[in-house]
Amino acid sequence: MKLNITLNGAKKSLEIAPNAYLLDVLRDLAGMKSVKRGCGEGTCGACAVLIDGRLRNSCITFAAHCEGATVLTVEGIGSHEHPHILQKAFVNHGATQCGYCNPGSLLAAKALLDRNPDPTMDQVKEALDGNLCRCTGYVKRIDAVLDAAKEMKSSREEKR
Amino acid sequence: MLAHVARFYHPTTVEEACSLLAAKDHKNVALAGGTHLAVVEDSGIEGLVDLKGLKLTHQRRENGRITIGAMNPVEDLKTSTLLSGPGGNLLRLSAAAIGSTPLRHAITVGGNLVAAFPWSDLPPALLALDTEVVLRRGKEERVLPIGKLYETRPTDVIKADELVTEIRVSEFATSTGTAFQKVARTKNDYALITVAVRLTLKDGLISEARVALNGLTRRPCRITSVETFLTGKKCDKDIFREAAKKAGDGIELTSDFRASREYREEVLPVYIRRCLEEAAANVSK
Ligand SMILES: Cc1cc2nc3c(=O)[nH]c(=O)nc-3n(C[C@H](O)[C@H](O)[C@H](O)COP(=O)(O)OP(=O)(O)OC[C@H]3O[C@@H](n4cnc5c(N)ncnc54)[C@H](O)[C@@H]3O)c2cc1C
Ligand code: FES
Ligand code: FES
Repeated sequence: MKLNITLNGAKKSLEIAPNAYLLDVLRDLAGMKSVKRGCGEGTCGACAVLIDGRLRNSCITFAAHCEGATVLTVEGIGSHEHPHILQKAFVNHGATQCGYCNPGSLLAAKALLDRNPDPTMDQVKEALDGNLCRCTGYVKRIDAVLDAAKEMKSSREEKR
Repeated sequence: MLAHVARFYHPTTVEEACSLLAAKDHKNVALAGGTHLAVVEDSGIEGLVDLKGLKLTHQRRENGRITIGAMNPVEDLKTSTLLSGPGGNLLRLSAAAIGSTPLRHAITVGGNLVAAFPWSDLPPALLALDTEVVLRRGKEERVLPIGKLYETRPTDVIKADELVTEIRVSEFATSTGTAFQKVARTKNDYALITVAVRLTLKDGLISEARVALNGLTRRPCRITSVETFLTGKKCDKDIFREAAKKAGDGIELTSDFRASREYREEVLPVYIRRCLEEAAANVSK
């Protein structure tokens, strides 16, 4: 069957199996290798993407359920040449080591800041509560998100 | 894995969805958040009927009642500004206790109450609030008290071509206090014990007590021995202590790798007492 989605801003029409998971479709058919399989059962957040602005674990989301939806992966927020403010903040704070959890946690952070540009530390903790990181120990990425929020705020003020 | 799913439907009306579920030639099932269906092994399921297009995401407050569409992700209950008062607060707290952020964006109200597991957090809150569940089979509608679904399994009561479309809860705007407690090893882990309490007062005495559990019983349930004991009594620390002692009466507690039966037996009265005290402390004027 056909799946029509807007993936990272571009309209896509993909031929999928009715029982396919979004994780496999994104990686294998759409080439979005940032989306990672960790647990494969909804507990680690390595596969998290934004579907119509909501953070969802793509390993337990049927691809066909996303018909007509807008899907965002890390490929859609920044690149090596032009990283997103959040990506720079993760690097600067050492919130990345092996990097496996980063795509999911960056999108969790983005979903938070899109809704709430000025979050408290507790709000950051809660927004990232579904994204396990076995390397960096959590404090660094919380600092990174708070810092990115500050920087985004000042760049908004400069524009005014 | 649903290895034999060869069809995926996107109906836009309840009638259309029910007629797909009624198909005789192959087995279709309703898909809500998919967090359960995506992880089960069931080679019998041949088609998925996605409820996303049915627009069951309403939340309304009218005439002292709260109505919530079955397809609301539980995150939208947690963050709802419409849900307030003792009834609304209990719904918000129980939704907030569920899983992690990405899971709460997926898990729906309907899916959580239908696929009721020991770790499901909404059912005890729904029991404490005497929730009405609205079921539709095409145009045909029936309304069941939530307790009916948990006498056996919800799937024994809900027909294969029937859908939960919404739940209705009283706001309990006055003379009522509620409390909710999920006990788990980490915030994201499944519950060892879930307790939901409602106390409704009349002339200073408890006229209606609801003490509902999950996590340590095979299915969500109310402990009527405690409820009966409390009815007609004052809100008083000693009475709550006495009531909590009856917690194990008539219910069979489970044992698993997360906690032994003995442990659960020991701590259950503590959490019940605390919930009763908390509910009594926040009774609305
Ligand atoms: C890792 C993980 C952790 C979790 N932690 C918790 C937790 O802490 N607390 C908690 O409460 N839950 C938790 N859950 C969720 C719970 O286990 C179920 O997966 C969830 O409640 C199912 O809801 P859903 O909307 O995803 O339903 P689905 O998976 O889409 O459906 C579940 C079942 O209900 C039926 N169904 C769904 N909606 C309707 C309807 N409107 N009418 C009739 N039938 C319907 C479906 O046909 C299916 O049989 C967790 C899930 C996962 C994967
Ligand atoms: S791989 Fe999806 S949550 Fe772990
Ligand atoms: S950086 Fe390795 S898991 Fe987070």
